[in-house]
Amino acid sequence: MISALHNIGMTDGMITSSVITIVLCILAIVAGRHLRIVPSGLQNAVEMAVEGLLNFFSDIMGRKLARQYLPLVGTLFIYILCCNYSGLLPGAGEINGLSAPTNSINCTAAMAITVFIMTQVAGIKAARGPKYYLHLFKPVAFIAPLMAIEMLVRPLSLSLRLYGNVLGEETATHVFFQLIPIGVPVIMQALSILMGLIQALVFSLLTAIYLSEACETEELEAHE
Amino acid sequence: MTGLIAVAAALAIGIAAFGSALGQGNVASKALEGMARQPEAAGMLRTNMILALAFIESLSIYALVIAFLLAAKI
Repeated sequence: MISALHNIGMTDGMITSSVITIVLCILAIVAGRHLRIVPSGLQNAVEMAVEGLLNFFSDIMGRKLARQYLPLVGTLFIYILCCNYSGLLPGAGEINGLSAPTNSINCTAAMAITVFIMTQVAGIKAARGPKYYLHLFKPVAFIAPLMAIEMLVRPLSLSLRLYGNVLGEETATHVFFQLIPIGVPVIMQALSILMGLIQALVFSLLTAIYLSEACETEELEAHE
Repeated sequence: MTGLIAVAAALAIGIAAFGSALGQGNVASKALEGMARQPEAAGMLRTNMILALAFIESLSIYALVIAFLLAAKI
């Protein structure tokens, strides 16, 4: 079956990404059935995770924006975390169909472009129209090209950061394995556990910061 | 020609690692100093330090990607 998928053109990363998505959706649906006021079991664990994420992002975006955009940033965090860790499972890269999705620029660029489009939408919604783009001229008028370039470079840097980190860790583990097959690659994999968590955190944190920056025009209007 | 490409790949990642190590060392030293002065602020300082470290590291990751692209051409 996997070779049939390969013939269509699906890569191993796409197959792993689909499996991760299906597992997360099933987890969410099962935890969301028969909700009780006093949670227990799976609903309790999932509520702890969601509340933890909400509190974390409220420190950055403010309560109202965090509630509004938690579906995007929370999902990015959980999905990127699972993708990075799927590259550490035994057999990743060797078994047909198991490979970290984020070790390819396609996956990370897709997420970065989604975040870019979402920041434009959030900014235009907060400023009620294309007036949002006046913020490019804000401190001084002729600084607009620099601000526009900075805005366009954000998806590039988001995607390259995640892609470079995950590909670099996998390549380093591979090279260590070819040098000393026992013991040494485990050190690199332990480092990739830490770095995978940090990169997932940084991607979603930067998304939250860009969204709160795009929406801050709304707060200025409310105070005036 | 392949000799030059190999030297270019090594220099790219070498100089990038040097610069980013200096930068990250500064970030970590100031963050640790702040945490030692005021342990109650340690959580907030830690989060912002991780963010700053990831920003600086991403610059050396760009150089790593270039080094990979060059090494594939040898």
